[in-house]
Amino acid sequence: MKILDGLYYTREHEWLKVEGETAHIGITDFAQHALGDIAYVELPEIGSEFAAGDVFGAIESVKAVSELFMPVSGTVTERNDAVEEDPALLKDDAFGNRLITVSLKDPFAPGALLDAAAYRELTEKESGE
Amino acid sequence: MDALKRTILYEEHLGLGAKMMDFGGYEMPVNYPSGILEEHLNTRKNAGLFDISHMGRFRVSGPGALAFLQRCLSSNVSALEALQAQYALIPDEDGGALDDAYLYRLAEEEYLLVVNASNARKDWEHLSRMIADFDARMDDWTEDMGMISLQGPESKRMLLSLAEGAFLTEPVKNAMNRIRLEGKDVLIAKTGYTGEPIGYELFAKAEETPELWRRLIAEGAKPTGLGARDTLRLEAGLPLYGHEFGADAEGKAIPIFSAPLAKFAVSFSEAKGEYIGRAKLLEQFKAFERIVNGRFDGTDALPRRIGTFAMTGKGVPRAGYGITRNGEDVGYVTSGSVTPYYVTSGEGLATTLTEESRTRRIGLALLRNDLQPGDEIEVDIRGKKESAVVVRDHLRSIDPPFARVILPDAEKAEKPADISGDYREKALHLVRAGAENHMWRQTECLNLIPSEQTHSRGLRLLSILDPSFRYGEHKKMKSFYDSDVFYYQGTKFLHQAERLLTEEFKRYFGCREAEIRAISGQMSNAAVFSALLDFKNRANRKRDAVKLGYVLNHHILYGGHLSAQPMGSLHDCIAVDPATDKAALVNFPPLAENPYKTDLAKTEAIIERYRPELIILGKSMTLHKEPVAELRRIVDGLGLETTLMYDMAHVLGLVGPYFQDPFAEGAEIVTGSTHKTFFGSQRGVIAADYDEDEIKYELWESIENRVFPGSVSNHHPGTLIALLMAAYEMNCFRDEYQKNVIENAKCFARSLAEAGLDVAGDPSVSYTETHQVIVKVGYAAGPETAERLEENNIIVNYQATPEEEGFTAAGALRLGVAEMTRFGFGKDEFERAAELIAAVIKDGMAVKEDVKRLRSDFTDLRYCFTDEALSAELDRLAAAI
Repeated sequence: MKILDGLYYTREHEWLKVEGETAHIGITDFAQHALGDIAYVELPEIGSEFAAGDVFGAIESVKAVSELFMPVSGTVTERNDAVEEDPALLKDDAFGNRLITVSLKDPFAPGALLDAAAYRELTEKESGE
Repeated sequence: MDALKRTILYEEHLGLGAKMMDFGGYEMPVNYPSGILEEHLNTRKNAGLFDISHMGRFRVSGPGALAFLQRCLSSNVSALEALQAQYALIPDEDGGALDDAYLYRLAEEEYLLVVNASNARKDWEHLSRMIADFDARMDDWTEDMGMISLQGPESKRMLLSLAEGAFLTEPVKNAMNRIRLEGKDVLIAKTGYTGEPIGYELFAKAEETPELWRRLIAEGAKPTGLGARDTLRLEAGLPLYGHEFGADAEGKAIPIFSAPLAKFAVSFSEAKGEYIGRAKLLEQFKAFERIVNGRFDGTDALPRRIGTFAMTGKGVPRAGYGITRNGEDVGYVTSGSVTPYYVTSGEGLATTLTEESRTRRIGLALLRNDLQPGDEIEVDIRGKKESAVVVRDHLRSIDPPFARVILPDAEKAEKPADISGDYREKALHLVRAGAENHMWRQTECLNLIPSEQTHSRGLRLLSILDPSFRYGEHKKMKSFYDSDVFYYQGTKFLHQAERLLTEEFKRYFGCREAEIRAISGQMSNAAVFSALLDFKNRANRKRDAVKLGYVLNHHILYGGHLSAQPMGSLHDCIAVDPATDKAALVNFPPLAENPYKTDLAKTEAIIERYRPELIILGKSMTLHKEPVAELRRIVDGLGLETTLMYDMAHVLGLVGPYFQDPFAEGAEIVTGSTHKTFFGSQRGVIAADYDEDEIKYELWESIENRVFPGSVSNHHPGTLIALLMAAYEMNCFRDEYQKNVIENAKCFARSLAEAGLDVAGDPSVSYTETHQVIVKVGYAAGPETAERLEENNIIVNYQATPEEEGFTAAGALRLGVAEMTRFGFGKDEFERAAELIAAVIKDGMAVKEDVKRLRSDFTDLRYCFTDEALSAELDRLAAAI
């Protein structure tokens, strides 16, 4: 299972890559594996504002729906239409295919977000269950 | 909570890397590493292999088994012959479903009922209570036998490979058989839960099941989990207990008639009698009838029905989501998901699956009963109203080899013809295009369709004379000693021609009566069936006519005429048998070793059992003589009043010593179209050999009345005049023509076989005794092969063989030699034609120029009058008109 250093992670298996006042958000390789065949992705419109913890979209496999949670507060500036068109991209490369980019509302602070080491620990725990 | 149970294939699933889940108390594979989408797609294009050993299997046996099952199931169990299966509900007293089930009849007093795993215990307890009143017993065979399902277009090939080519089942849904696979006794049924037109379920001893499973994987079948099983059944619109049956969102039982399948699975036949839930089901049925007729008042017994919908907005519908229409609550999603499908290429019959796949978001829903396909609805997806549309279906399952995906926004493949342009231009174009087509078929093509025939120059000219603009209605009147009274003047020439034609046909058949006004073979059959109904009811006309039953005919898969089926001309004339809820029809059993021939021993038993009122001989795929004399002996031996009829459409021009003489052999009625082996024009004829003194002469009089005024008013006098010329030609040249046709057919068949093609039939008679030859070109390859031959100017038609499921899966070609024999083809030419056909089929060669060369020396029609006097007269006629 791939986990990239230098990113931040949520307990709901989103990743966050911060670049100054913007951040890219996607789902992790672990999430992609756990969902199985991802068949449908629903992303927010550009300009939508979300607070940290808000549901900003959904990823659906054949069997189930998983909601997407915002790791930070911000406004959507870009959405990855290619992933909506072809959800299989996430299976090929979950880290290479971000879902959205947001402009941060507040200066970035990691808060409850996990770093790579902590996230690896979480995934190991969850796969052990 | 009980520990999860495991099927006999549990270790196999683990070994294959399956993701396991709890389903109905069993630890079952939800998917294998390839994933649900891939497993779904593979089933549609190749074949999916499913472990369904978790389903409950109850054996019901004993003298009271039938009565017990009739009491506890919704279906008409007496419709099942041994080794047939049917879908059924297990109703409760309130018209809800305790479960849905499949019933397999194994023997006279032995059935196997297969139920859902999650309901197995409940079903067992309910049925155990009920069976106490019957002389029958129930055994739980769930653990004793394994059950696997193989579904998809390649499933048949895989099983045939394991069976070393042995017969699997009749190629119809719900057929069953006992076969040996890899040395194991296996019960095989042509059933499934995926919407695949070709699929099988196999029952084997539990301990032998894993080996069978592994062998099918080795043949190319892909293990497929319950995840794909669910999306496959959803796409096919098949109900799942707990979703479309059982309790609804409010916990109330869903009425059985809410599901579209109910109309096939619920019987109110008097033969079935009283059963659990019948009264409530009848109420639902009455509501159903009103709904079908667009009346929604008085439908309280059925307020909602299961409908099919497709998302047009965002999101994936899931079970439980609410549905509105224009803001008003109209129901909820019972099943929903994302399902994948292959993009197709080509149109019509040439449609095939590409490598490209897409997904769609679809569902089943319990919807207010007035919603119709095309209605727009909204699905509440996590608080957002997303648009969707009610559709008729997502998948069509009756046109093998593939299940056909139906997309709501797909455009009609065939666009309306372009009618723009100036009318003078269009008229000119029509004449030119007509001439071009005529010359192509008449001078450049090998015309090998066995139901077609070129007409002589004399016929053609006669067919366009003045009578073709006229009416010639006439009727025999008893008041005038049966002389024909014509209603219009100016028809004396026509009258004389009709009298002559009648006599020529009597001479041709060697019989006493002929009716020549029907304008097609199908109309001839329709008139005879209608007359039989008339004759049967002649003593009492103050009530609805009692319909015909039983009728013995050839199944369409074995070459039976379309017109001799309930979907053809028998439609309004045949009774429904209350024992089966189906048309009172039985089919000639084919010989095991030669499916093109009838098994007479079995036929005798069938005639004895059903005592048919009517026997219809004759086929459109016909390689052999019909056993007319043998059937006459059987019918007379049993003292039956059965009417023995032979539809000779294809072989009408072969009546005589080289083929068969129907009336001499004992047929009572012969019908046929006059333009296949006979010389044209395109019409029908009915002949009979009744004596004026016998009771059945009234049947003949009825036949005349059912032709006119029953079927025609204008009977196309133009082609009738032409037919008189054809009858002259036939009665003059029949001996030489018939001998040559049959010799040519045998020679053609042998040559095709020698050229390496797979010719059907019995090699010991050179494959055929008629004008037809059947060539097998590979499963479902018929349409494409026929098209390729046409590109090379070789005109044939594709044909499903008795092993195949229907014309969309046709794997053979039907060829006939009559027309090219008339153009003078003999042994050498048919040998050459066989080589050219083989070159196209086997080697993909382009032979159009060779075909044109072969044809170029054979453009003059034989077996017609070409003497100088007649030719000069035809020249004068052509110039004058």
